[in-house]
Amino acid sequence: MSDTVLRADGVHKAYNGLQVLQGVSLEVGRGEVKVIIGPSGSGKSTLLRCLALLEPIDGGAVALEDQVLSGLRERELAAHRSEIGMVFQRFNLFQNMTALGNVMVGLRDVRRLPKKEARERALEFLSRVGLADKADSYPEELSGGQQQRVAIARALVMRPKAMLFDEPTSALDVELVREVLDVMEGLARDGMTMVVVSHELRFAHHVASSILMMDEGRVIEEAPPEQFFSSPTHERTKRFLALVE
Amino acid sequence: MLASFDTHLFWEVLRSEPYWRGALLAVALTCASIAAAFLIGFPLALGRASRQPAVRIVVFLYSWFFRATPTLLLLLIVWDVIPQQFSVFTHNWFTPFLAAFIALSLNEAAYMAEIIRAGLLAVDPGQELAGRALGMKRWQILRRVVIPQAVRIVIPPTGNEFITLLKLTSLASVISVHELLTAANEQASVSFSYREVYGAALVYYLVIVSVLMFLQSRLERRFTFRSRGVGRAPVGLAAAAHDAR
Repeated sequence: MSDTVLRADGVHKAYNGLQVLQGVSLEVGRGEVKVIIGPSGSGKSTLLRCLALLEPIDGGAVALEDQVLSGLRERELAAHRSEIGMVFQRFNLFQNMTALGNVMVGLRDVRRLPKKEARERALEFLSRVGLADKADSYPEELSGGQQQRVAIARALVMRPKAMLFDEPTSALDVELVREVLDVMEGLARDGMTMVVVSHELRFAHHVASSILMMDEGRVIEEAPPEQFFSSPTHERTKRFLALVE
Repeated sequence: MLASFDTHLFWEVLRSEPYWRGALLAVALTCASIAAAFLIGFPLALGRASRQPAVRIVVFLYSWFFRATPTLLLLLIVWDVIPQQFSVFTHNWFTPFLAAFIALSLNEAAYMAEIIRAGLLAVDPGQELAGRALGMKRWQILRRVVIPQAVRIVIPPTGNEFITLLKLTSLASVISVHELLTAANEQASVSFSYREVYGAALVYYLVIVSVLMFLQSRLERRFTFRSRGVGRAPVGLAAAAHDAR
C-alpha cells in the first residue's frame, strides 16, 4: 500500500531520562484502522501524542502524507495538528463551552469560518454522533459516553486526515462503552484512517486492519486480527492476551 | 455615666456629606486599585511561568518587594519620597488620591498575581492539551478556554482582597485622603459621641461589603458553566443554595 497517511519512523522519546519510546515505526495507510494494545507503561499513549504532534520527539520522524512534521516549530505545528484528530481518555471537553461551542471553536479559531457556517457544520457533526438535542448542554451535564461522542465530533468537524483515539472508552461506565464504540465503528466503515489505543478486543477484532502489540517502548508484533488472536508469535503477546480476555 | 444612644445624631452623621463622600472615595479607591492590580497582576502571573529566567527574576523581585513593604510605609514613600526625588510629582496633578491609588495598586498587584497564578494552574491541563490538539494557538487557548475557567476560581479570593483593600483605604488618611474613617475620626474629635459616630461608619462598611457579596455571587454564577440557572433563578436563593452545597 503506497498511500500512507501517517507514518512513524524509529521514534524515540524519553521523559526525564526514562526511555518511553525506543524506536517505534508504524505506517497507517488510507482507510486503515490500527489498534494498539499493550500493558500500561508500554508507551502507547506517548506514541499517540507524538503522532498527534503534541510532544516533541528525541529521534526518528513523524510524517503526515509524506511530509515530515516532527521537528517543526511550535508556530508551524499548530496548523498541522488540526489535520489530525485526537480523542482523549478523559474527553477533555472545554468545560466553559456547550457541546455546540466545543464543536464550533476549532472551526472559528483555527479554520476561521464565519459564525453561521461554523454553527451549521458543528450541528451537522453533533447529529452525526447522535447528540443534536444536547447542543446547548455543558460538559458536566452530559454522561461520559455523551461527552466522548461530543469530543469525537469536535475532532471530526475539522475533517482530519486521520483520527487518533487514546483509550477512548476506558474512563466510561460499562453501559456507556457501546455508544462510543458504535460511533467509532461507523467512522471505520466510512473509511476514516484511525489509530486506536484500546483494550476492547472485540472492537479490534471487528474493525482493525491490524493489531499492534507494544511492550517497553517497542512494537513487538503486528498482524491482522485473525492471525493476531489465533496465533500470536510473541510470548509476551500470548501472556498479555490471556490476561485481558 | 452612661449616656443614652443619640439616634438623632446617629442619623445626622450617617447622612452627612463627609461620610457619604468618604465612603464613595473609599469605594472608588478600592475599585480603581483592584482593577489596576488585576491588570498588573496578570502579566506577573504569566511571567512567573516564563521560559526567560530574567522575566522570572523581575516577577520574583516585584512580589518580594511589595509583599515585604508595609502598606502604610508604601503610601508614605509614594506621597513623600517620590516627589522629593522627581520634581514632576510636585505639581498639582499629583493628588493624595492618585498617590494612594498608585501605592495600593502596586501593593495589591503582588497579591493578585499569586491569586491569578493559582487560578490558571487550577485549570485542568487536559483543557490546554485538547486546545493544542485542535490546532489552537497558545493565546487562543488562554483567552477562550483557560481564562474563563480560571475566572471562576479567582473570584472568591478576589472578593476577599477587595474587602481587605477597602479597609486598607483608611490608611490613606495619613496622606490626607478624606475617606470614610477619616470623616468618622473628625466627627469623633468634635462630638466625643463615639458610639453614634463610629456606629454610622460601621453601617457604611456593612452596606458596602453586603453589596459586594451580592455582586460576587452574581459573578460566580455567571462563570459557573451549566445551562440552567444562568441568571434565571432568584439570585439570593440561588446563592444561598450554592453556598450550602
